[in-house]
Amino acid sequence: MYKSITFALTRTATAADQTAEAVKYIRRKGRSDLSARGEPFLWGLGGALAFGMLMIFGFLALIVWNGLVTFYPKPVQVVTLSDGTLLAGEPSRSEVYKPGPQVLEHLDEPARQAIAAEHGYARRTLFRTGNFDLYNEDFRWASDFSIVSVAEPADVYFIERIEWGPFVGFIRSLNLKGETVSGAALTRQILEEAHRRAVQRRELIREIEREEIGAVNHRLNSERLKLKRIALKQGENSDTYRQAAAESLALQETLQGRYHDLARDAQAVKAEDAQYTVTLAEIGGRGKTIPLSQVVRFTLPNDMSFFEKIRLYLSRWLEFLTDEPREANAEGGVMPALFGTFVMTVLMALAVAPFGVMAALYLREYAKQGKLVSVVRICVNNLAGVPSIVYGVFGLGFFAYICGGTIDRLFFPERLPNPVFGTGGLLWASLTLALLTVPVVIVATEEALAAVPQSMREGSLACGASRWQTIKYIVLPRALPGIMTGLILAMARGAGEVAPLMLVGVVKLAPELPLDGFFPYIHLERSFMHLGFHIFDVGFQSRNSEAGKPMVFVTTLLLISLVAFLNATAIVIRNRLKRRFLIGHF
Amino acid sequence: MSRKSYGYTKAFALALLLSMSLVSAPQAVELDPGLQDYMAVSGVSGNLKSIGSDTLNNLMTLWSEGFRSHYPSVKVEIEGKGSSTAPPALIEGTAQFGPMSREMKSKEIEAFEQKYGYKPSSIRVAVDSLAVFVHKDNPIRCLTLKQVDAIFSKTRKGGYEKEILTWGDLGLTGEWAAKPISLYGRNSASGTYGYFKEVALYGGDYKDTVKEQPGSSAVVQGIASDKYAIGYSGVGYKTADVRTVPLAVKEGACFDATAENAYTGDYPLARFLYVYLNRNPNEKIDPVRSEFIKYIFSRQGQQVVIKDGFYPVSRALADEDLKALAVR
Repeated sequence: MYKSITFALTRTATAADQTAEAVKYIRRKGRSDLSARGEPFLWGLGGALAFGMLMIFGFLALIVWNGLVTFYPKPVQVVTLSDGTLLAGEPSRSEVYKPGPQVLEHLDEPARQAIAAEHGYARRTLFRTGNFDLYNEDFRWASDFSIVSVAEPADVYFIERIEWGPFVGFIRSLNLKGETVSGAALTRQILEEAHRRAVQRRELIREIEREEIGAVNHRLNSERLKLKRIALKQGENSDTYRQAAAESLALQETLQGRYHDLARDAQAVKAEDAQYTVTLAEIGGRGKTIPLSQVVRFTLPNDMSFFEKIRLYLSRWLEFLTDEPREANAEGGVMPALFGTFVMTVLMALAVAPFGVMAALYLREYAKQGKLVSVVRICVNNLAGVPSIVYGVFGLGFFAYICGGTIDRLFFPERLPNPVFGTGGLLWASLTLALLTVPVVIVATEEALAAVPQSMREGSLACGASRWQTIKYIVLPRALPGIMTGLILAMARGAGEVAPLMLVGVVKLAPELPLDGFFPYIHLERSFMHLGFHIFDVGFQSRNSEAGKPMVFVTTLLLISLVAFLNATAIVIRNRLKRRFLIGHF
Repeated sequence: MSRKSYGYTKAFALALLLSMSLVSAPQAVELDPGLQDYMAVSGVSGNLKSIGSDTLNNLMTLWSEGFRSHYPSVKVEIEGKGSSTAPPALIEGTAQFGPMSREMKSKEIEAFEQKYGYKPSSIRVAVDSLAVFVHKDNPIRCLTLKQVDAIFSKTRKGGYEKEILTWGDLGLTGEWAAKPISLYGRNSASGTYGYFKEVALYGGDYKDTVKEQPGSSAVVQGIASDKYAIGYSGVGYKTADVRTVPLAVKEGACFDATAENAYTGDYPLARFLYVYLNRNPNEKIDPVRSEFIKYIFSRQGQQVVIKDGFYPVSRALADEDLKALAVR
């Protein structure tokens, strides 16, 4: 027994010695030639990847988080300040600062001691007070030492309005066509019912004005232009002109009559609408009466259940995605910008795909590979490195001023001096971006073509197919997934580009969509809005930059989602093509 | 040069005094009760494109929103990258309106006249106080124009004896004394840049250390995040994070950037905001443009001016400009 244990121990010891020896050997070897083992490099490469991923995901997380929480209702606090005034608003952020001697000398002793206890620092909070029409400011700072008490009363309203931004305060009374409802009689149901009707009236007015009067005005204007065109062509003294003028006058009169009828209808609804008002009161007691239809929604942020909050959150998102911007883009939705970005990217893809693929086909399949082709290839690659704003300048000078100017002189002389195509617009913006992204498509297509085995081409040619037949039936189908990859990259680049667009057609406000019900239905000459520019505009151009900040995150989130959506669509198409190709293969 | 800049201010004050019924309320900006409600007419349709000042960018957008509520079929497009982009746009015919935060230079008028044979027309649409902003914690009480010149300019045409580099040079004590002043301003395409150079810098040159920003709001945001900053921008872009500094022409007589001080002409950097347009004096102005101008000068239009943080013009001034354009 004892013996066997000793034996076992010796054996273990020997084994341990051997292992130690081996480790020593390896270590010695490792020390002598570190790079040969490659492990540090592995760590380095892995670390670089991890760092890259961390940055990308950190950035995405920042945008997604800030974008998602923006529309979630926040509580409204009523703050009593030490000078006796009241302040109501959403706390938006707080910071630590060092009050200067000028501030300190006006403070009372306890406050001064409190600050001294914090080593001279104090905390302050920024409140979104709203009520810009009454206060002439939307945000106000309040230092903690000046705050006596904070409350979150259940009956304080946060009211989103069509104009002047939000109102924070109370509802004093409701005036429904002379009948005043206030106090306990003013229930939530009455308020919601009255508001629902007011919104219906607002939409009715909008429909009459936008749709019906819009159509009449459009016809009136086109009549005017038609006449001007005839005058330009035939002269004002010609018979044709006189006849046309007489006809046009008659038509214009009927149209004017129709306009007056519609305007009277709209006016009647407006007069009716003006009789339904709501009287609001801010926290200090000052009142404000506004038409009920000016209210987007009433919310009681301190008295909402979780589901009500989610409902409000979703309804704000819906408004953001489907409405037009209001108040110089600071409020409302981004539908025109979303649509503009989408249409422009699709048009760009339609323009860039054929040109890029054709150029690459010639370069790879037809051209004799030599010095000239190398030079062309280098030039194409270099084009990808030209700053995008240069393309913008080119687009403005060549497309808008030269091409567009010529089109205007030839086809729209009656509209001059107002340009139609002779200024930035959707078409020119798409073409400029197509130019910007064409190198990406060429390079990707060339690579995809080069990846098709030469033996397949030879086989096809040997069977008697012509060069074009070979390309069409053998080479292109196999290269298609690679070409799609190039197109995806081009679209991603194009959708996120802003600098050149600012010169060739993207504007701050263009609520008219490039698609509508008037002939020719798609209006390529129109300026449009773009999400990328919208971000710049809201972030750096809006009057109230503080309120604009959260909107910047939301819009950025939307732009990233749109690019992801476009890419995902292209990837799905590519995968389908790949699958078809595989089935065809076997 | 200094005489010229005083001329500016004086002419401005005179124009306002002649036409303004002085606003009595101390804080709230009020409309001239004489301004009339806007009445919509029929048959207004077409395109409106405005290219020009960034200061007026939001104002033009708000006006066009209001205008479109009367004429839904009017297509409006607003672009604002700086006042200097307005004259070329009017000359090229790419825009109907050219909002500008300064008057057109004689060179620009000449270029326009060369092409069309007549001068561009202008209307004075709002009053702005060009404000000098500092961070909200900055204790500075008042600056004279000469001090402002010595802060922003390397030529010091105002005649201040030495260059001002730190807050201590302006008399601040404690932690502020040794801190260098960080300068924010607009890019050179901006009319605000030109006006400030003309009036506050007495025509001199900016220091190279001024951080030129692409927008009025960007200046304010820069100052909000930089405690030792100073910068200039339209008063309408004020946020809770910055504060305006009262300015004085003569030492001791400080005036803050308020509506009242702008109207009386006491505030030295008060100015008109303009909208330029191409109008052939021998032809009637087309209905879209004339209605838009009428809308700007209506009660609703000037209410929008207040909403954007600027100050409205008076009935008398509006009538004068409407008459000059032969818009009834």
